Parts: sequence; C-alpha cells; structure tokens
Amino acid sequence: MVPAQSHGRFRTNRWIDAPWPGIDRYAFTQSCGWILYPSRPLPALCRAVREEGAGVNAVEVRGLSRSFDGREILRDVSFAVGHGEIFGYLGPNGAGKTTTIRILLGLLAPGAGEVRVLGRDLAADDDARARVGVLFENNGLSDRMSAADNLAYYAGLYGIEEPVERIDELLALVGLTDRRDDPVGTFSTGMKRKLGIARAILHRPEVVFLDEPSSGLDPGAQRMVRDLIVELSRREEMTVFLNSHHLDEVQRICSTVAILAEGRIRAFDSVENLTTASGRPAVTVALAGAGDRACEVVGPLPYVTECDADGDRLRCTLADPGATPDLVAALVGAGFRIEEVRRSSRSLEEIYLEHVGRAEGGA
Amino acid sequence: MSTFAVIARREIRLALRNRSALIAALIFAVWFPVVTILGIAAGSEGDAAAISGGIATVTLPVGVFMGYLFCADAFLREKRDGSVETLLCTPVSLRRLWEGKAVGVAVPAYLMTLVSAAVTIAAVYTLASAPVAGEPLLLLHLAAVVPIWIAAATGLIGAAQLALGMRENQILGFVLIFGFIFLIVGLQQVAPGGSAISVTAEAILAAVGFALLALARFIAGKVTKERIVRTIP
Repeated sequence: MVPAQSHGRFRTNRWIDAPWPGIDRYAFTQSCGWILYPSRPLPALCRAVREEGAGVNAVEVRGLSRSFDGREILRDVSFAVGHGEIFGYLGPNGAGKTTTIRILLGLLAPGAGEVRVLGRDLAADDDARARVGVLFENNGLSDRMSAADNLAYYAGLYGIEEPVERIDELLALVGLTDRRDDPVGTFSTGMKRKLGIARAILHRPEVVFLDEPSSGLDPGAQRMVRDLIVELSRREEMTVFLNSHHLDEVQRICSTVAILAEGRIRAFDSVENLTTASGRPAVTVALAGAGDRACEVVGPLPYVTECDADGDRLRCTLADPGATPDLVAALVGAGFRIEEVRRSSRSLEEIYLEHVGRAEGGA
Repeated sequence: MSTFAVIARREIRLALRNRSALIAALIFAVWFPVVTILGIAAGSEGDAAAISGGIATVTLPVGVFMGYLFCADAFLREKRDGSVETLLCTPVSLRRLWEGKAVGVAVPAYLMTLVSAAVTIAAVYTLASAPVAGEPLLLLHLAAVVPIWIAAATGLIGAAQLALGMRENQILGFVLIFGFIFLIVGLQQVAPGGSAISVTAEAILAAVGFALLALARFIAGKVTKERIVRTIP
C-alpha cells in the first residue's frame, strides 16, 4: 500500500502532474474520489463535491436490528453522520452502543438493516478498513512493547512505509515524546489512552470510532482527551464517532448526538437543537418582584407555547425565536419590571435523562 | 514488509521478551527430555537408533508444548484483554492475522525445541556415551518433521483460542496437548520398527503433520470475527 500524502486539505496515495492548462495535478482521494487540483487554490473543492452528493455520509445506519440469544439489543436503528462531524452516541449501559460500533466496524453482522462507513461495508472490504480508525476501551496496545514499537506495529499493519516521522509527530501531539521508548506497561491509564488515540489516528483515517475514550480517567485527563479529540478533528479533518457516558464532554465537543435507549434511537439531532428545548427557543426572564401573574399575561400570547413562573423567574418557550422582544413588550405593558432577559437552554444531561427515563418507563 | 511478516516478527519479539514463559519453557525443555532419554538410553544399552528414536519421539511433544506456552501469550492474552478486537479492525484479513501469529509463535517454540534437543543429545553423549548427534534421520526429523508439527500445533491451538471462550480454552488446552501426545506415541507404535527411528516412521510423522497443518488451516478458515468478538470476556 502506498502511504497517504497531503496536499492542502486533501489526502491521497498519489498525485499525478496534470498535462492540462489551469490544472496543477490530479489524484484519487480517499474522501472525494477523483479530484483535480487547480493551479490556483480552491480549498472548498472537496466540501463542494460532498455537498453536491458525489460524496456519501461518513456513517450511515438504516433500519439496523440485532438480537443476541433471543434478546433484541438493537431495534430499527437509523442515523447518519456527515463528514467532519464529531458525533456523540449516547445511551445507558447495555443500550447497544458498543454493539452498533461493532456492527459498523464489521465485527458483528447486522440482524436486519444496513450499515455503511464511507459508503462501504467494512466486514467485506479490507481496504475500506484502512480508512477507519478505532479506539476501544483496552487501547489495543501491548504492555511489553514501547510506545514507539506499538505504533510501528500498527504502521506495518496499515502499510505505512517509513512511519518514523508520523510516529514522532503523534507522540509529540499527545505529549509522550519523552516516553517514546518506555514499555507501555509502565504508563498511567491516561497515558495509555493518549497513546491509544495516537494509534487510532496513526494512518490518518477519515472516520475514527472512539468507544468511551474518557472512561476511567481523572478529570484532568478527561479534559486532556477531550481537547485532543477536538484538536484532531480540526487538524486531521476526520469524522469522529464518539461513544461516551460523559454527557458534559459530549455537549462540549459534539455537533450531533443520538440517544439510544432500550435498543431504539430516542433522539437524533444537533446538540444545539436538542438543548434549546427540542429545537424551540426558550427565554428566562428575571422580574423585579413576584411573577405569579406573569403567566396569565403571556400564556395566551400566540407565540408562547409554554410558560412557567417560579418566584421572580419566568421561563417561556417560544414558537418563534424572533418573538423575544414582543414578549418583553407584553410584560412591560402589563406593568412588570424586568431585570434580565436571556435565552435559556437545557443541558444535554436533562435531555438524556428525559429520553432514557421515558424509554425505561415505557419498557 | 508484508503484513504477515509484520505480525510474525512482532510475535517472535514478544515471545523472546516474555521472561516467565521463557523460563517455564526452558525448564520443561531441558528437564523432561533429558530425564526421559537417559531412561531410554539406559534400557537400550547404547543402541543409537533406539536412542535417536527416543529423542525424535520426545522432541515432538516438547515442541507442541512450547507452542502451547507461547500461544497463550499471542492468542489467549490478546483475547482476554480485548486487544484482538482492535487488530480485527485493521485492513488485515483474519486468515492473515492467524497465519502471522501462528508462525510467530512457532518460531520461538521451534528454537526452544532445538535447544532442548541439543541439551538432550549432549546429555546422552556425556552421561550415557551414546553418540547420536550425527544420525541423519534424527537431523532430518529436527529440521523437517518437528517444525511441521509445531506449526500445526500452534495453528490449531491458536485457532481454538481465538474461537472459544476463556473457560472452554482452559479445558481445550489440556485436551489438545494430551491429544497430540497420544497421537505421537500412537504413531510411533504403529510405525514398523517400533520406537527406533526409521524412514517409514519419519514419513508417517511428516504426513500426519501436514494433515494436521491442513486441518488447522481448515478450522482457522471457519473462525469468524463475530465468533471471536462474542467470546471476548
């Protein structure tokens, strides 16, 4: 296998000098298929090709079901993850998150439905697996080998020729350069996890699956891993599929989430939509004085869908995000004095508990 | 370098760094054959063919046991800690992974068996004054038959360790080891000339070794990623 090379934002196995005027070179890229690289920079080309439909979603799951020993683990699960997203896959223990990842990676067969990663079935496509990275809880490292030897081993499996430069680059990125030649068995849990992440992205995958990357780490190490994921997503331009219990972490770094409970997808949306009251804008108004009567005033207004007063706090969910000034005007007109108005959102934890609790209540 | 060579080289390096397995292997590789062969040498009154036959018979179970020892590190440990799951996600096919690991385990097992044979031959020469080092059939046995059997054993044990759960593997390890030993002893008994080394006996052992190798490849071909992942503890 020829190692991937970088040219601008594109990664490819081989650039070929183009004989045509205005075109510098052309190549077959892992993310876009055939592309032409113009003499003048056109950095949005890859994204444009994707948006026009030439590319496919990084991850697609359609109607996925799977049972083990007569117990249904996944039921008609469907979602898609776009290129370059950091996707959070949430759910309680036993919800089927790891099973989904294993099916996506081709380790388990789907009972029903279809899964695709980069448009391919990884179970049947060895080459496609070279475009995907994975970090399971065990990190996939040998304790008896040094950090560099572990990475060199995987570099060999992925066909990376002369990987020393890449290994050194990644060790520097995860802050383990000074432990390069130490056996991994002497590393702390956090250091092993960092090295595991370096291993997972060693071959510059287009999609990386991270299964509980912060599990068992202290808060400082959790933050370090979180920052590393964001940095990698930005720097290596990869799609991140994050399976995590750490809702705060997911809310901070993920653009889209799916909540899985009792084997079904209970919510699938952008973090922003989910946290702004299921997509509806909400405002919290601090009143100077008791607001018991406020709901009687604003509740009947057509753009107010929900109203809740608690002491001097009034929380309204609006049908129209542009209705906040009208709401304020209505309150002022009714004689209320306003100290503060701010858009409010729910935490992902609240959303998660609501969906999971509903699923468990219904089960 | 091919992925096969990458995997095999890594397993060889890990086996040679596994101090506890090496010590256990060395103790077994020296103590068991030396004691057994000295007994045979005493009973055969210096008959070189009989002593060579004894050494040939003993080196096979020693080699198989060495393979079993190193398999525990290459296959079973990676199954137990789950790191095999990461390997299954690489662009390496399951068959290639199995072949690389089996050969990577077979090489140190073979080296330990050669050490065992050398120590045994030296012990027989020193203590029983029986010169067998130049016996051509014994050299052929060590050079050709032993590696085939070790490769077959590591292939079979490795495939079984990948496919089975932890509890089944504990039982299966003993079953396979004793199965191999009974098979070797049984083949020695049915071969013409009894326990003395002979061309016929070596041909039978080589043929059965190749059959076992083919069986190991067949069984490994039946192992699936799903089977491996679902038996990770």
